[in-house]
Amino acid sequence: MKELENQGKKQTTDSLSEIMNIDRLVHSPARLSILTYLSVVEEGDAVYLLNQTGLTWGNLSANVTRLQEAGYIEVVKEFKNKKPHTLLKLTDKGRKAFHDYQDVIKGFLDIKSLSPGRTVNK
Amino acid sequence: METTDQKQIERRVFTSFLQGGFIEAFTGIFLLQLGLPALFSRSGFGDWQSALLTLPIALILLFVVFLVRRFVIIPRLGRVKFLPERRRKLSKLIIVPILTLIAGAIVGYIFTKNASLRHIFVGQIPFIVIPIIVFGAAAYFLDMKRLYVYGALVGLVFPSGKYLETVIVSRNILPATILFTAFVFLGMATVFLIAFLRKYHEPEV
Repeated sequence: MKELENQGKKQTTDSLSEIMNIDRLVHSPARLSILTYLSVVEEGDAVYLLNQTGLTWGNLSANVTRLQEAGYIEVVKEFKNKKPHTLLKLTDKGRKAFHDYQDVIKGFLDIKSLSPGRTVNK
Repeated sequence: METTDQKQIERRVFTSFLQGGFIEAFTGIFLLQLGLPALFSRSGFGDWQSALLTLPIALILLFVVFLVRRFVIIPRLGRVKFLPERRRKLSKLIIVPILTLIAGAIVGYIFTKNASLRHIFVGQIPFIVIPIIVFGAAAYFLDMKRLYVYGALVGLVFPSGKYLETVIVSRNILPATILFTAFVFLGMATVFLIAFLRKYHEPEV
């Protein structure tokens, strides 16, 4: 019993340290939204992200630049019918960062929900 | 690794690309293709003449639907390449109607060769079963539950028309029933397109 308790404590500590070191680049709601919608397609353009995320052009552009600089997404700028067209794709590094983020959040929330003294409002 | 929640997001993204009423437009055009030849042939035209009269109308309407999708809907939704899993599912959707039609032709041939079975197949069954299978497959592969309802509606058109023929004795009741349903679907397509245009505006770059 004591061993289980210790194991639980260790898990909680590990999870807490993981959440403290979470990838803050992914953690921002706008960037998380961009990564989520890019993770469910092979590639998509800026209009697609604009519609799905509900961000403004300026906000989308700023966050895309940050993700691109981190190497999480690949941006291809081209012209289609004489109009600029921006195509975005999640890189392997970005996909890994996104899944790692999911794992950390899931692990943290699972442990928090099992911890004593917490009540669930229904 | 894709989680269940991501699958739900992917499904939502995919179905958002089926907006604008183009499925309803296709269903309406398909019903026009059934109703117009029936109307023409009952008005004294031969089978080939009826088909030749209907074909340009259907082709023009399909071309309009294609243009609307290409130049109105897609620029507003954005361009996306879906994951290979989704693309495989879509390719299966094309196989189901082809297999259904081949199976229907084989079963039809066997049944019509056999005099005792002929009355079963030549009746209303293919007109009920084929739309239900095709729309059912489309509902499953496109993740659109309302296509089950469309399948049931299209499957009911032929028996309803046949029934109305016995109540209202007229040669044109069956084609009129099919055409009425076709116009209902085309009307729905127009309403969905208007709703889509109100919701989505072409983005200014």
